[in-house]
Amino acid sequence: MTSAALPADDTRDAGTGADGSAEQPWLRLDRRMIAVDLVQLVLAQIPTIVAVQVFDVPLTPGEIWPVAVIAVFGVVSTVNGIARWIKTRYRVTDEYVERRTGFLVRKYRRVRRDRIRSVDSQATLKLRIAGLRVVTFGAGQENTAREKALALNAVSRETAERLRRELIGDDSATAEGDEPDGDVLARVRYGWIVYNIFNVWAYVAAVSLLFSAYMFVTTFGIDPWELIDRVVDREAMGWPAFTLLVLAVTGAIGVAGLAVTFVTGFWDFTLSRVATDGGTALRTRQGLLRTREINRDDARLRGAQIREPLLWRWMGMAETSVLTTGLSIWSEAPVILPRGPVRVARPVVARVLGRTPSPLDTDLARHPGGALRRRLLWGTVFAAVVTGGVAWAGATTAEVGPDAWWITGAVVWPLGLLLAVAAYRSLGHALVDEYLVVRSGLVARATSALQRRAVSGVSVRQSILQRRLGLATVAVSTAAGEGGYEAPDMATPDALAFATASSPGLLTPFLVPTPAPSSPTTEPTPAAEAAPAVEPGPAADTSPATSPATPPAAGPTPPTAPDA
Amino acid sequence: MAEVQDAAARPRRYASPEDPGAGAVRLRPPANRVERRAIGWWALRAGVQVAVAAGLLGALYAFVEPARPWLGAPITAVLAAGAAYTAVTPWVRYSVHRWETTDEAVYSRTGWWVREWRAAPISRIQTVDTLRGPFAQMLGLATLVVTTASARGAVRIGGLDAAVAETEAKRLTRITQQTPGDQT
Repeated sequence: MTSAALPADDTRDAGTGADGSAEQPWLRLDRRMIAVDLVQLVLAQIPTIVAVQVFDVPLTPGEIWPVAVIAVFGVVSTVNGIARWIKTRYRVTDEYVERRTGFLVRKYRRVRRDRIRSVDSQATLKLRIAGLRVVTFGAGQENTAREKALALNAVSRETAERLRRELIGDDSATAEGDEPDGDVLARVRYGWIVYNIFNVWAYVAAVSLLFSAYMFVTTFGIDPWELIDRVVDREAMGWPAFTLLVLAVTGAIGVAGLAVTFVTGFWDFTLSRVATDGGTALRTRQGLLRTREINRDDARLRGAQIREPLLWRWMGMAETSVLTTGLSIWSEAPVILPRGPVRVARPVVARVLGRTPSPLDTDLARHPGGALRRRLLWGTVFAAVVTGGVAWAGATTAEVGPDAWWITGAVVWPLGLLLAVAAYRSLGHALVDEYLVVRSGLVARATSALQRRAVSGVSVRQSILQRRLGLATVAVSTAAGEGGYEAPDMATPDALAFATASSPGLLTPFLVPTPAPSSPTTEPTPAAEAAPAVEPGPAADTSPATSPATPPAAGPTPPTAPDA
Repeated sequence: MAEVQDAAARPRRYASPEDPGAGAVRLRPPANRVERRAIGWWALRAGVQVAVAAGLLGALYAFVEPARPWLGAPITAVLAAGAAYTAVTPWVRYSVHRWETTDEAVYSRTGWWVREWRAAPISRIQTVDTLRGPFAQMLGLATLVVTTASARGAVRIGGLDAAVAETEAKRLTRITQQTPGDQT
């Protein structure tokens, strides 16, 4: 309980002397979690009892298993929870957060306090009712060492609050819910629900919902097909119409499910910047049943990203996240806004990064035509493979008609070319003061702005085809966000300039000036002469438009000023 | 293919980062080659990969009778392409793979189809490891793996002499420890 946790503060204050950490007592998790586990144990048995007592389901494995799974799961998780309470001790010393746990395998973990980048607290409904929180200490290990974050599951709400204050020194907060939110950057608008319910996950959600419902009702001896037959006459409708109906109903169920998920998940969502004693932090707070609060230390902020899915670009949908070190990209932590209109996302990003206009709003340099040609080629290859496959199937099997291949080709090739153009149009790059901005992606166009000081490695890549087209891809690696960001298919001289500027000083020792006259003679590929180039290799050097000095200087990418 | 751009914006063909065109700066190759024995190492590894792929198809051919009529061509193709891959790529790699370490950075050039020039600053290095697989041990080779705080930023230099890799790892670890910063 809270009272058990409070002396910890006193002891620490008394013994903050030379070796205060040694005397720091080990604390237990909150006792109330046992009560929560026991209630859960009882609740988990109810379906089985109801099935057996009310519906007279026979106690045979074949009949009872769906509810039995729930019952067994309840027992296992209760035993697990109680064992965790018995065996877990934690303490916060001057230097470390330490935790001992494990029943069969004893585990000891500690995280240096100065490495802790975020302290999150979240609670499922059952924990909230009991006034408990799960506290997660993020220290960047998820990204680099692929370790799980250190978590305390669960402590009281007050202890969670106190830990957060102690570890990331957030003075603005006294208790959840009833404090000023600091500088509010954004609040959810429930109208954004339209951005969050129409996607493929609707079908996934619906199928899983329907499947559990099916398993559940069959256990109680109800045949769902009978119910369906009572509502619609499958035979009279015919299969195509029935399939359409099923798709529509499933879709509607999925959309409803996602709508509920959105409203409960993003209930009262607030993004704000709060003061901490070491600086500031970005805080999101959300949730109706399961509450979640995440604090992201601004000292770890390295940039931002806006993703715009291709299918929804017409309605301006954007997903907004921050690039920080120490937050796992697989968690929800980097996401700072629910899916919503891009015209809302852009100003929010500007305020988050503290820069107007935001680096994401800059005009990006377009990539050369070679990048388009490369994509058109891939689109054509893809169409050719598909068409070839259909033609082969048409020649060898009776099911596929002899005309199918050219119909497929007529549909797939233009589609491939269209997607190639879309992919090309999403390419872009720029350097804006301390930020490098890259944009790419077909299915979801992602525009990322990353601070140059966060770059921890640079690479320039070039396949043989790219070399033929005079293109190169620049990739930077970083501890923040996805770990790496790419500017695909830039003109080679621009790529070098961009790579050089993206991490000032790193490539400088490896760069040398090119003596002007030597380059035409050092064309090493024999393919240069053999390939039926649209524009013959040697001619490029003599044509007045592309005189030797022109190409690198006249590229369409002025913002890439080399540092060298 | 329609030339949509104006001529001045057209990039130069065959422009490699080491030869981007007159007047521009270019990357120079890293100073050191890898060991010549690495050709054998790459060939052994490629051979094993090809053998595994062909072996799987061969097992299918042997045990699944209905698949036989159409499995012959893929097996032949895999063997032919695999033989070419095993024969050619080690030599291409040997001409491409180069490396260099300075007091500030690790710099490498790798790849046979996709060439990659990669540099990582010493100040961001988190760990320096040497790695020796069975073939590498047989040939007295080692791979130097330099990781930074990024999940994607590791610089791997294969085909080094085991002793060279060991010395280099020690030297980099020493410099890294002298360089302050939390590597992120």
